[in-house]
Amino acid sequence: MSDDIDKEQVEFVSLLLQREVSEMDAEVCEQCGKCTSACPVAIYMEGFNPRRLIAKVALGRTDELLESDTIWTCTSCLKCKERCPENISPYDVILVLRNLAVRAGHPYPAGYDETIKAVLEYGVAQQPRMVRTRAHERRDRASLGLPPAEKPRDMKKFNEVLGGIVRAGGSG
Amino acid sequence: MKYALYLGCTIQAEQFGCEISAREVLPRLGVELVDMEGTSCCGFPAFSSLSTIGWFYLSARNLALAENLGLDILTLCNGCYASFVETKHNLEENADLKGFIQEKLRQEGLEYTGDIRVIHIIELLHDLIGTEKISETVTNPLKGIKLAAHPGCHAIRPSSLGRPDNAENPQKLDHLITALGAETMDYPEKTDCCGSMLATASGTTTLTIAAEKLKAVEGYGFDGLVTTCPFCFQMFDGRQGEINDIIDFIFDTDSEELEVPIFYYTQLLGLAMGLKPEKLGLELNLSPVDALVEKIAGGAK
Repeated sequence: MSDDIDKEQVEFVSLLLQREVSEMDAEVCEQCGKCTSACPVAIYMEGFNPRRLIAKVALGRTDELLESDTIWTCTSCLKCKERCPENISPYDVILVLRNLAVRAGHPYPAGYDETIKAVLEYGVAQQPRMVRTRAHERRDRASLGLPPAEKPRDMKKFNEVLGGIVRAGGSG
Repeated sequence: MKYALYLGCTIQAEQFGCEISAREVLPRLGVELVDMEGTSCCGFPAFSSLSTIGWFYLSARNLALAENLGLDILTLCNGCYASFVETKHNLEENADLKGFIQEKLRQEGLEYTGDIRVIHIIELLHDLIGTEKISETVTNPLKGIKLAAHPGCHAIRPSSLGRPDNAENPQKLDHLITALGAETMDYPEKTDCCGSMLATASGTTTLTIAAEKLKAVEGYGFDGLVTTCPFCFQMFDGRQGEINDIIDFIFDTDSEELEVPIFYYTQLLGLAMGLKPEKLGLELNLSPVDALVEKIAGGAK
């Protein structure tokens, strides 16, 4: 964890988890499995199972989840949240677990840091690039008659404010 | 109708066909698009995963820029749309959080109230413009062409936040397709994910999820697939070649390569309006769209 932890942030993330978890003691989640049967990832990736994930959270076994890479393999399709008859959202629980895992210093896919870094530096996740047509000709925004890409006008200020939030969040 | 146009990273950086076609057709339907200055990423999905507050900050920041213009914000991307709606909802629910974000935004000279609406492109076309008006602009009906609707996850789920269309039985994109003279039909995989959000964690699974959907679409006899999300578009269109590179591995058998033409909706709308393909960025689609484009645009001026 970083030293300049922003209390407000940590409290908020805890609040989010409480809100998600308070609704899912064993009595509320009936382990019906509608979440897992709807999940596009559970079909292909052994170990990713929203029903079991909720059971572990309900049993207080979050440490296991924070250490595991399965929380990073959700596609964010939201079918689990949509289909749950008890209004539990494995998706939102996963987002909170990811936030917590990062703060606890557990490993996560490198792509996320690259995106965060790009946004802090350029304001956007992807820099406008040259693309090719089907006929292998090169095109960019200008040659297509599109206006220049936008980014924060005061990048230094943007970086300072967002960077402060992200660092307090324990990443970067 | 006048909106602040929010492009988002993917469209602004590389999915130019979505932007070109939207800029070309929407004004013909009476929509004035106002470009936003100083926008940034919406924060989804990297910030939502690593720094929830950073995510809310980024989304609220873009909403504040639109508020500054006194306009509702129009997104061409499901991810940005969901990000904005989710952020608005969370800030409305939690006054402390809203206060925190507002204070941070003031450091950038921005004011956030949360008073503007977030408009999804499907909502704009279907609910605010209407299929009748869209049909009136059609000069080249897409006759004899059957297209699969792929609204994409974040246009329809979660219903608890209020989405442009029904979570389990979305029909608006279908109506928008038939308004152009094309045919469509429901199919079991219609509300399934494109898999693109898994790319960071598992490249092969991402391609497999997309491949399964495209194979199903082809199997039902659709001539192509239509979406309103640049992430889904990029997955199905830009990465169809990558899917084909490993298709035998994905289906664990000798498989025919997939050949599914993919369109962003406003590209098709433009073709139906009789606009030339190059005005709609159709030369940028990497899926095999040539035959369909020629069939539709044959009589275009």
